[in-house]
Amino acid sequence: MKSFGVGNGFGEALLAILQSRGRVFGPIRGADGICRLGPLTRWTSLCADPPYLPPKKYLFPPRERLWSLMADEYRRNGRPEEAMALVGLAPCDLRAIDYLDRVFADDPHYQERRRRTLLVGIACVPREECACRVGDYPPGDLFLADDRLWCGSMQGEDLVAQLRPVLGDEQDRPLPPREFVGRPQENGRLLAAFARSAGAPLWARIAQGCLSCGACSAVCPTCTCYDIVDEVLPGKAPERFRTWDNCFFSSFALVAGGHNFHRERAERLRFRFEHKFFGFGPLRGETSCVGCGRCARACPVGISLEEIRQTLLRESSR
Amino acid sequence: MTLDFVPRTAILEEIDRQVPDHHLFRFRLPNAFPIAPGQFAELTIPGIGGFAVSTAAFAAGPLFHACIRRIGRVTDALYRLPLGARVGLRGPFGKGFPLEEFLGRDVLLIAGGLGMAPLRALLQALVARRGEIGRLSLLYGAHDPRVILFKDELNALARQGLLDLHYTVDFAAEIPWRIGGIACQVGLLPQLLDTVRLRPERTVAAVCGPPGLYRCVLDELAGFGLAEEAIFASLERRMRCGIGQCCHCAVAGVYVCRDGPVFSLAQLRRMEGAI
Repeated sequence: MKSFGVGNGFGEALLAILQSRGRVFGPIRGADGICRLGPLTRWTSLCADPPYLPPKKYLFPPRERLWSLMADEYRRNGRPEEAMALVGLAPCDLRAIDYLDRVFADDPHYQERRRRTLLVGIACVPREECACRVGDYPPGDLFLADDRLWCGSMQGEDLVAQLRPVLGDEQDRPLPPREFVGRPQENGRLLAAFARSAGAPLWARIAQGCLSCGACSAVCPTCTCYDIVDEVLPGKAPERFRTWDNCFFSSFALVAGGHNFHRERAERLRFRFEHKFFGFGPLRGETSCVGCGRCARACPVGISLEEIRQTLLRESSR
Repeated sequence: MTLDFVPRTAILEEIDRQVPDHHLFRFRLPNAFPIAPGQFAELTIPGIGGFAVSTAAFAAGPLFHACIRRIGRVTDALYRLPLGARVGLRGPFGKGFPLEEFLGRDVLLIAGGLGMAPLRALLQALVARRGEIGRLSLLYGAHDPRVILFKDELNALARQGLLDLHYTVDFAAEIPWRIGGIACQVGLLPQLLDTVRLRPERTVAAVCGPPGLYRCVLDELAGFGLAEEAIFASLERRMRCGIGQCCHCAVAGVYVCRDGPVFSLAQLRRMEGAI
């Protein structure tokens, strides 16, 4: 992979180029000390902590219009998506976006936004609550580590061509090996343990404290359950929106007539665990949990999927 | 697949109001709507909402038939629509009943309540090829005699000797009840199984009804000796997108909307939590 030395002034030069083509967002520490993604105006204000909320919302907004009905004609959202760049993404968030790309592979709304989005990744130091996966990671369009820049795509190469004056030597190098909080890929064993755990007391025990608030799914970089809602305001055309939904809400699996397929919190917790670690449909067998630890941090009662994972493996090996 | 969520416009053309709160609606589209028995569509009442509904007829051409129960906000709005009103239609979605598996065999249909609607589509497809199947039986359980759907057509098929028809209801004012000359029991649907003479090794079954129906009926059918690959059920789930994205219908890693809603018992046995 093409790689370049970077020196002083590189960050500001990159930011200037990205700003000339669209909006730029990156992790910035707020006055309250919390790191959030927001509009990036100075390269030096990039924060090394992972942002409290993942970059998901830029590619898959909490609410987006699918169509409006004008004069008996369904019209798709006519506004072209603006170009943007997401800068300073840790490998776990790059991995999450890679997963979203596959979930929404056929989704025109997502893909239009994604096509106009550049990703600039950055190496990070795993924290105690991280559980990132061992193995390679998607580099994004550009990836920064150890005072070097890696090119991960054609768009990345275009940027490099414009940045050439502030770049050092070019070498062909693999991405730097990263320190991971080694979570080995033991999904076969985990799936067997999970399958045996149907109705096990573990789920009810942990879900007992669950408030069904859905914070875990909201902060998860790969949770994409959505609902479809129609709205009509006085004097306006009927519109349909796609909005984030949440598998912890009690209405999630409710059908007409009142039958609920996930009546118990334990069932809802197990459903989410299954989705995160084993995937659904064509992505079955792929873990979508990137180990960022946001769900455990956001949970008001301290439920942690990572702890459940370890408990499952421990209890099943007895 | 309508991946961009934009529906096609359909016109509400006819309403059969024979059964209260279980009207049969016919919609006309500008072009063909090739929906197979067991498949479903998403019907949009503009500005109100949408819902998934199986086809209630086996029909080629630019038509969609659905038997829709008046049960909530959106169906209520549909019931208020005048003839000629425009609705939105997305689909067809999912995999229907594998018709070729039914040919050359005896067929047993088991319907509970509104589950009769998807099975009516299958029944019509089977009657169209009646010469290619052996015995054709329908066991149909409903809440009470007033909500038995399509009873004139079903009775006509039975009188012509094309269909072996058995009714049962949960409640009836008097016993024995007769529906258009066909005897109707009072009792639960599985009890009807004792009234049909099965040739299990050559029978294919299709079941559709409320969630509680499946576990007992499917096991009983397997107990009679039907092959698990020859027992089909159409699952109900909450479905918002129809294309395996929104996740409401996922069970055991499978999207019911995409890989179903029709599954064989052999498949369901491998899907924890499906029934």
